[in-house]
Amino acid sequence: MHLDSSSPRNGLMRRLGRALASPFDPEDYLALFDARYSSREILARVARVRRESDQAVTLELEPNRLWKQHRAGQHVLLGVDIDGARQQRCFSLSSAPGEWPVTVTVKANGGGGVSDHLVHRCRAGDLVSLSAPAGDFVIPEPAPERILLLSAGSGVTPVHSIVKSWLSSGQTGRLIWVHFERNYSSLLLGESLRELALDDRLDFRLVLSADTPREGDFSGRLDEHWLTQQVQEAAALPLFVCGPQGFLDTVIDWHGRHGHGPLFHERFQQATSGGGEGGRVRFARSGGETEAAAGQSLLEAAEAAGLRPRHGCRMGICHTCKCRVARGRVRDLQSGEHRELNNQEIRICMHGADGDVELDL
Amino acid sequence: MNAKVENLDPVIFERQGVRLTRSQVEAFGREIEALRDEVMSDLGEQDARYIRRLVKTQKSMELAGRGLLFLSVLPPAWLAGTALLSVSKILENMEIGHNVMHAQWDWLNDPALDSSTYDWDNTCPAEQWKHSHNYMHHTFTNVVGKDRDVGYGILRLSEDQPWNPLYLAQPAYNWALAALFQWGVAFHDLEYEKLLKGEKSFAEYRVQRRKIMKKVRKQVLKDYLLFPALAGPFFPLVFAGNLSANLTRNLWAYLIIFCGHFTEHAEMFSEADIENESRGQWYLRQLLGSSNLEGGPLFHIMSGNLSHQIEHHLFPDMPSNRYKELAPRVREIADRYGLHYNTGRLGQQFGTVLKRINRMALPNRVLRGLSRRRANSAPM
Repeated sequence: MHLDSSSPRNGLMRRLGRALASPFDPEDYLALFDARYSSREILARVARVRRESDQAVTLELEPNRLWKQHRAGQHVLLGVDIDGARQQRCFSLSSAPGEWPVTVTVKANGGGGVSDHLVHRCRAGDLVSLSAPAGDFVIPEPAPERILLLSAGSGVTPVHSIVKSWLSSGQTGRLIWVHFERNYSSLLLGESLRELALDDRLDFRLVLSADTPREGDFSGRLDEHWLTQQVQEAAALPLFVCGPQGFLDTVIDWHGRHGHGPLFHERFQQATSGGGEGGRVRFARSGGETEAAAGQSLLEAAEAAGLRPRHGCRMGICHTCKCRVARGRVRDLQSGEHRELNNQEIRICMHGADGDVELDL
Repeated sequence: MNAKVENLDPVIFERQGVRLTRSQVEAFGREIEALRDEVMSDLGEQDARYIRRLVKTQKSMELAGRGLLFLSVLPPAWLAGTALLSVSKILENMEIGHNVMHAQWDWLNDPALDSSTYDWDNTCPAEQWKHSHNYMHHTFTNVVGKDRDVGYGILRLSEDQPWNPLYLAQPAYNWALAALFQWGVAFHDLEYEKLLKGEKSFAEYRVQRRKIMKKVRKQVLKDYLLFPALAGPFFPLVFAGNLSANLTRNLWAYLIIFCGHFTEHAEMFSEADIENESRGQWYLRQLLGSSNLEGGPLFHIMSGNLSHQIEHHLFPDMPSNRYKELAPRVREIADRYGLHYNTGRLGQQFGTVLKRINRMALPNRVLRGLSRRRANSAPM
């Protein structure tokens, strides 16, 4: 069920509701009845957990009405509570726009983080948070007549969404999609891929590097010659690529030398490399950057760079100086603990840089 | 002990007949910090469940209370509705609002319980509260002239505050502050006496006042106009219920907060005391400037765990549900250093608060005379 998705919002009722609930929102009270209600963020209920393999699941999600339809190929930051605290990670949406429920397909990575939690412990009925869909890995308007799509591993998910939405939107052109995988058991969304492959407009090829190919599939791996040899006119086609770093590098390198169509690629975020203490601090809002010394707090670094961030006690107790870190690695100057941050808030008076840090200042 | 050794480790704390050297103060601070680290690294799902369940309970009580008030033509419904609404306002202000705005729950990473976005059902805007309370009061606890909670700008609670004849009336108007506590808290932020002294600009004052009035209008609109109006003919009954709930919350908050810092043996400090104060000295001041209240689990929750005022002041951003387990351990550390751990039942502690308010109504010279006479007439 989509919460109130169809009913037009009555402005007056809404204002009355807010006045009655002030300083909260009516949603804070409605959440007693359905935990997805929120005026602040997109919360979704896990309607079903579809098991892809023992290491991967597809989650069917029913978001609240703050959800706006995504474009095929986009991703969301998905948050889930682990040991009480919400942790977030980016996942491509595997469902086509307009499809309900919305799906993400997740592969465990053994790191003990969000992916592992979702694969091994997520159950129907759980609540997750979603950011608004984002990303430029989308088919431009108007859609090209012919496209070459390359994916590897979990890079299959956004490409699946793109292909599914392209096919269902009545396009007359032709898609070539080559997906590279180790073996059949690690393949995600296999059932849906077989269904899509029945469409005449799609030339789908599965290439396996460590399994005996069944009928219609191929054996091999991507290298600098593969595309030129295996895909006719590959160099002339608009190219969409998604996969691990090494795979992307090979394709981008090949495209640089041979390709003459546009290239779209989606990089799965990599952890920032953390050096010793100190590091480069970028200020997202004011645009500058500075070098933070070892043992220097981010607040001091910002002040030394001429900024005047809000702050109070300078000893970590009042939280006046809390600031969002878009991404980066910091060190708690009191406990000495290191933390990898991704869109989280910290007290800048008691954290120092430990590698690159991007602050919302 | 020769003079050279004494210089290396001088006595930096002397109060209540206790003398502590620099290294002793530092060791005390480290013991307190070890407690903090232990609990903070142990936070998890159970704590998250505690606060979420509390929010649900509070919101359900509020809905039930407001619902019952619509039936207030039946006197028991009015009483039950008012009681539920009072309790829900107390829970929201103290165990939820106050503690969320202290960033105790920021680690959940949940925007609904985040100190930077949370706003409470109170006339004091969250932004101003976080400045005057989290920063000014918690950093400069009981420092006369810095911590504006010492008397909220209208009461004299320390001999270090200069006396004037208006204070003679404080035993009486203190009760007005109690009844209007949320208004007192909101307006004491305006620091109008700084305005009179020219330490604060009119522009700043006006911006602040506008924000307070915006918040005030919202509460007045909700509690004294919209909800009563929805009750139609029972407008006066709902109005009275809401007024009673706000009053009850004011009195309760006042009671708990005054018992936290103004009991007889709670120590006051001067600005000179905190010059070059180390972290260890800061912990000492928090311990000696705060006082606890004893009671059962429900009492602790209803007080927003400010019944553990000492632990709250040592660890202001630690989730309040964990203070209880630390209290005996903090007390044990205090005992070992010979420091007074100020605690008692509510009636007992509040009695000494009233005593302080009554005494401080008088000028210091009269107080000294009184204590001399008492000393002379005391039996040997």
